[in-house]
Formats: sequence, structure tokens, C-alpha cells
Amino acid sequence: MKAGKSAPPGSFSGAGGQNIILDSIADGVFTVDRNWRITSFNRAAEAITGVSRGEAVGQLCKDVLKADICEKNCCLRTTMKTGVPIINKKVRIIDAQGRKFPVSISTALLRDDRGKLLGAVETFRDMSVEEDLRKAVLSKYSFEDILSKNHRLLKLFDILPDVAAGGSTVLIEGESGTGKELFARAIHNLSPRKKQPFVAVNCGALPDTLLESELFGYKAGAFTDAKKDKPGRFRLAENGTLFLDEIGELTAAMQVKLLRVLQEKTYEPLGATKSVEHHVRIIAATNRNLGELVRQGSFREDLYYRINVFKIVLPPLRERMEDLPLLVDHFIRRFNTLQKKDIGAMSAEAMSVLMDYVWPGNIRELANVIERAFILCKNGLIEKRHLPESLLTENREHAVNKAASLGDAQAAFLTDALRENAWNRPQTARKLGIHKSTLYRRIKALGIVTPDR
Amino acid sequence: MKLALSVFKECISTVFDAAEQLLILDLEDGAEPRRYTAKFNGKDPASRTNDLKDRGIDVLICGAISRPMERSITSRGITVHSFVRGPVEEVLAAYLGNRLGLAVFSLPGCRGRDLERSSCPGRRWRRGQGRGMGCRMGPSQSGG
Repeated sequence: MKAGKSAPPGSFSGAGGQNIILDSIADGVFTVDRNWRITSFNRAAEAITGVSRGEAVGQLCKDVLKADICEKNCCLRTTMKTGVPIINKKVRIIDAQGRKFPVSISTALLRDDRGKLLGAVETFRDMSVEEDLRKAVLSKYSFEDILSKNHRLLKLFDILPDVAAGGSTVLIEGESGTGKELFARAIHNLSPRKKQPFVAVNCGALPDTLLESELFGYKAGAFTDAKKDKPGRFRLAENGTLFLDEIGELTAAMQVKLLRVLQEKTYEPLGATKSVEHHVRIIAATNRNLGELVRQGSFREDLYYRINVFKIVLPPLRERMEDLPLLVDHFIRRFNTLQKKDIGAMSAEAMSVLMDYVWPGNIRELANVIERAFILCKNGLIEKRHLPESLLTENREHAVNKAASLGDAQAAFLTDALRENAWNRPQTARKLGIHKSTLYRRIKALGIVTPDR
Repeated sequence: MKLALSVFKECISTVFDAAEQLLILDLEDGAEPRRYTAKFNGKDPASRTNDLKDRGIDVLICGAISRPMERSITSRGITVHSFVRGPVEEVLAAYLGNRLGLAVFSLPGCRGRDLERSSCPGRRWRRGQGRGMGCRMGPSQSGG
């Protein structure tokens, strides 16, 4: 790559023209001088790193890029030393918000028109969506993949490393679509068992006899079609983690069998004459309130206490609406990559419809709504008309009508007012005839969630 | 009180998640601090947190750190001063002199984090001020 000295009028080769060109590129681009100080930094580089051009120029490139290879295997250094460009090397960077994600970087020397070395240029591309899809396919999730700024989940994140490090049984309660398996996999991937298998079983999907052979396996001859031994899920998960989903659906008979397995750390494959010892960590999940099932007598109390060593309750989406914009952006990026589209974002009007909905299907339903919008929306913003009719016409009971307290009534009133003004707070304050700082204070005091982006 | 700095040569290591070495200072009763170095056993949050905890670290000063890593370490009661840069001795003096919040010790783009620190005499400093504290790219320390 060579840098020209002067630019004909109207061309793009002057300094200003080069900036226009660089800023129009979707990949991050920066150049460094021979002392590794950044000399130019394009708009995409700002977006990917979270560092503004003003802050970046003049800084050491390692301090700006914050890549895991900067100190020991720097690509720019290799290129400067050997003259050989590096193409699409995958590294991980940490942005200014602490998000760690993969980028693909390429490097080349930068020379003037006489061939004199000026420095080097690095281009880099955010590969986080591609990695997200790869993880989705391989189910290799970690805590880094759980998007939330909800205070309940953030508190949970604080203790989860300790929970993961121990070998105790974990019970995850949460409505359907709240990400119970994602959490289970994240716990497994953070635990010392991460190199061992993670095996998932849906206890509600199989009748007792099938579930028993699935869990414990069987010996050849155990029944007519048992031609040879078949290992069960306990055997497959040995030294790893067994995820028992929908554990609240277990029949009374299976509850007794499972209790025995958990208490004695042994199980008997069907047709076996000897017990087999296991070293499996159990993570159980349910979309029902197990404590309530115990009170009703449909779930054994002793099994409940056996699995309820550490309980995690995942909030439904309607109780973590502050995460909605974050999740919407995530799914838009994902579907853009999957469907090779270029949808920008959700319009403010469409976003307020989403904020207004109660999401009984939680994050799974949100993903489906956005996937559906991608079918109808060709490009630009996802508008209200791209959302399903059910979201728009659902007869919602306005919270103000069922407010349990004065605070609830105030919150419902302010939420309605904000919604009517497309969540524009200064405009809402003007309409209500109050100062905007008063409105901000009330929003905070009443815990009103707004679709801030 | 035990203070750990993640270091690369004479500077704070730019990325804690990839750092290999710790400089540990035992700051007891105003005596001359005892200094020694240690290496991490692993790279994942759980093993790094355990390494720090096993060594009795109370405070960690480091460069860029991923959120899960920081969460893991702080959840075990260790105070983390993250996104710090500069030569070790300068950073150490700044920490002891309650000046770590100065813009010059913040990695570019991370100035806002300083304002969250408990003591921040550098609040009045503006974003992007300065070029760092002279951890230049020598033959052994390279760029991005």
C-alpha cells in the first residue's frame, strides 16, 4: 500500500478524500507509524473498538486494539519485520466496555510513492456474529454469551463462578424460553468438568420405561430387542454434567428411582445385576414452581431437597425489559448474518410495541418475532407493520386499572405517557407539564423500564 | 494487604485475560513492601480467580479485562482496578498516592471507568488527554 503526496482537485486521494474512503469501509482500518503510534483510524474501527478517533490517534496501537496477541505475537510487528502481509488472522480483542470478541485481522506495509516505509496498516473485522452462530451450532455457550444488564442476572453472574467451580447439584427454575439450558451449559463450561461431556435429557418428553433406559442404559437381553449393551445418559455424562430438563414432569415412580441414584451415586442399567457408580454433576431445570408442586404433593419433598442444593431462578423477559434492546440488537445481527440482509435496527415505534408486550414465550418468542420481521422487512428499519398482529392487537389490561398501590398507578400512568410520546422523555415531560429532571427522577424512583438504546 | 499487578516486562500488561505474569506486593504495616512475581496456571476466569485467591490477593491492577473475568474475580472479594496502563513503577506510585484515576493511566476509550472508581482525583481530566506513560514499543514490545 502506498501513500501519495498530493491530490488532484476533486479526487479522493488527498487526506480528506482518504478519510472519506476509509470511513465508507465496513471493516476497521488503522495505520501506524514506525513507532506503532496510530496515525489514522476509520469510523468502523471506532465502532468495533469503542475508542473514538480523537482518542486513538497518537496512541500505541496495542492500547487501542487491546488484542490478546499484542504483546507476544503482534501481526503488525511480524509484517514490519518480514514485509509479508498477514491475511485474516483470528484474534480476540476487548472493547472499552469489557466485551471480548473475535476479530479477523489483516496487515500490510505502508510505503510512500518512493517506496520509503511509512509504517503499516491493519484492517480488522468483527467476527462475533459468526462465532455466535458457531456456538449455537455446537452449543458451546459460556457466560460471555448471556446478554443482560438486569440487576438480578448481574447478581447471579457474580456468584455463578463459585457455583460452577463446586460440584453441587443446581436447580434452574424459569419460564419456557428464558434460557435455562444456556445457563446450564454456561455453568458446565465454567466448571472444572468443562472438558468432559455435557449431556441433556428432556424428562418430560419420554414415558417412564423409555426414560429409564435412556438415563441408565440397558444390558443385552434386558428385553426382546436389546441385542447389545446400550450406555445410558449417566454413562455418557460420566465425569461431566447431566442436564435434566423439565424435571417437574417426572412421574412418581421415576422420582423414586432418581432420588436413589442421586443419594447413592450409583445406578443400575436395565437387566444389570450390579450397580454402577457414577461421577456426574446434575443440573436440573423446570418451568414450574417445584416448591409449589411439593406442597401439592405431586413432587417428592426428599427429591426436591436433594436437587435444590443451589437454586437459580431466571427472570422472565417481562421482568428484565431493560435487556430487550440488547437482545433485539443481538438477534438483528444474527439474522442479518444468517439471511445475508442489512436490516439496520428496530424503529422507535416498533420498539415501543415490543416494550409493551408481556412476552409469555420469553426470549424464544422474541427471536421468532424478529425472524418473522426479517421475512417482511427487506432493508432499513423493522417497522411496526413488520410485527405480528398478535403483538399489536392483544387486549392488554392497562396496569393502571389493576394497580395494587399508588406507586403502581403512578408507574402505569407515566409508562403510558412515555409510550404515547415514543419514549421521548423531554417531550413527555413537556406534555405532562413537569420539568424533565422531575420526570427522570420519577422514572428512576418507580423503576420504569424504557427502551433506551 | 496484598496487591497484584499483571505485568509484561516493565509495564502493565495490556490484556489481563492473556497476561502471564503477576507482580505481587505484600504491603504490611508500612514496612518496605515485599515483592515477588508469580505466573498464572490457566487462562479461564475460574482458574485465574483461584490463582489470585490462593495467593491471598486483595487488590488487582490490570489492563483490559473481559467482563466475565472481572465478574469472576470481584465475586471472590478482590478489588479490581482495570483498564490501567503505564510503567509498573508509575502505576504503583499512582495507586499508593491515590492518583490511579488520572487519564494518563487509563487505556484509550476507557476513561469513563475511572469515574466509577472510589477515589478519583483525575475526574477533572478530560478524555484522551496524554499519550500514556511511556510504555513505548521497544524491540521486545510490539503493537496491535
